[in-house]
Amino acid sequence: MAGTKRSHDGMKIDRPSASSEQTSPFIPVFEFFRSELDEHHDRRERIIKVSRDVTAQSKKIIFALQRARELGRPIHASISKQITPMHSTIRDLLQSIVPDLQGINACRYYGNITGGIQEFMEAVLFQHYLATQRVMSFDEAAAQLPEGLVLTYEDYVLGLFDMTGELMRFAITYMATNGQLPGSETGSSSTILTDMQLLRSELERLDASGSYSLSRDFSQKLRTTRTSIEKVENGVYSMIVRGKERPKGWRPDVSLTDAPREADQVDSY
Amino acid sequence: MTTPALAGSSSPHVDPAIFSSLQTKIDQEQAIRDELRTHVEALSKQGRLTQSILSRIHNTPTDELEASVLAPCYDALLEQTKTVKELAQSASQYPFYKWNSIWQRDIQAVISSLQLCDWLKDGNLLTLEEVGQRLDVPVNLKSEDAFHITVEDYLLALTSTIEELARLAPNAVTLGDYARPLQISKFVKDVHAGFQLLNLKNDILRRRADGVKYSVKKVEDVVYDLSLRGLIPKTPATE
Repeated sequence: MAGTKRSHDGMKIDRPSASSEQTSPFIPVFEFFRSELDEHHDRRERIIKVSRDVTAQSKKIIFALQRARELGRPIHASISKQITPMHSTIRDLLQSIVPDLQGINACRYYGNITGGIQEFMEAVLFQHYLATQRVMSFDEAAAQLPEGLVLTYEDYVLGLFDMTGELMRFAITYMATNGQLPGSETGSSSTILTDMQLLRSELERLDASGSYSLSRDFSQKLRTTRTSIEKVENGVYSMIVRGKERPKGWRPDVSLTDAPREADQVDSY
Repeated sequence: MTTPALAGSSSPHVDPAIFSSLQTKIDQEQAIRDELRTHVEALSKQGRLTQSILSRIHNTPTDELEASVLAPCYDALLEQTKTVKELAQSASQYPFYKWNSIWQRDIQAVISSLQLCDWLKDGNLLTLEEVGQRLDVPVNLKSEDAFHITVEDYLLALTSTIEELARLAPNAVTLGDYARPLQISKFVKDVHAGFQLLNLKNDILRRRADGVKYSVKKVEDVVYDLSLRGLIPKTPATE
């Protein structure tokens, strides 16, 4: 049952030696433990690496998407040309660890992949919202992962939280360039702001205490989301009040937010 | 990414159903946690009894050990075994690694108690497979997702067992058993040699395995004191 015996970095296994007066009778069983633990650590490291790479690619996608100038229309060709290869990179990365995350191992290494999945969810949800002005459902989001990877609702919700920060940034930029709120030109009653407000109230209503992994980050994330939405609210306010007289290069005033420290945290996720 | 725009109900853009189903999932998780906690709390309570019996090894003369400590301890462990079985049945319905942090500590305590009792009885180290047989649960499962004893559980329990034996070495001398420290010394060194084979990462197992060498030193000191004074029995009573 013990795996192939490897002599690994610097550690010579001197089993039949007489260096110590007697060799431990437990050496064989610990050799077995070693191969088990090595297998575990190797797999863990593979997954952590993929998680980091997926995070990096997802951030790039989000960056590219922030250059979008339209809401509720298909992503502009120039942007989608950029992000399509990133999506396929992510797909390949995730695909490569599908065998590592099967069966009992799905939960074992969940903590090592969750960061990447959350960031990817943020990108996917943001892109979907930009293209359709709709919040993607959990099932739709789950289908974005390669077959064999299971989306947890924790990753979905935490991705959703982070997406509100992206919506804020998009809305502020949009108002600065177009002088109106995204989503309002269609004549529909719901704009990006009403969507964000609705999202906020739904997220505030969730009782996360039942989920250990969710409750850990929940209040922090909720605080950041609140800040993001208030920034847009203040931006819209100042656009309406001072919009008529806005000079060239004007940007909506978002400084009404009381805590600048929290405002910084939006970026850090 | 192509998704057909579904006509929403009250709000076209943010479907409230998303959040009600999320809440359902969170609540289900809470229910599972409550169910598992009931078993773990029972196990923990029984574990305290086992521990209190086992702690008597430090003031029980070696020849009385069997009757006044080990026998009642095995009885207590038998009760724990039943609870482990119940926990295992309950836990096997759910993903093992999603929940195992709830019971890890108590399971490790059971394993350690078993290791300690068995070593005191006949000087042998209970293997991982034997632990599984005693508790009537599988060990080291790699594909089937069910309750089991992991290699990490076993090794962490072993570090506790070693610590307890290192404490016993001077106490045995106090009780007049000068042969015990030598037995302990050999065993602790052998286990330490085993731990040195492992490639450990910066985790709990590493910290605990690092502690084993202090146990080796502690027991060595006792043996040294005894040999210096010619107190070591002439016929080594190992095993």
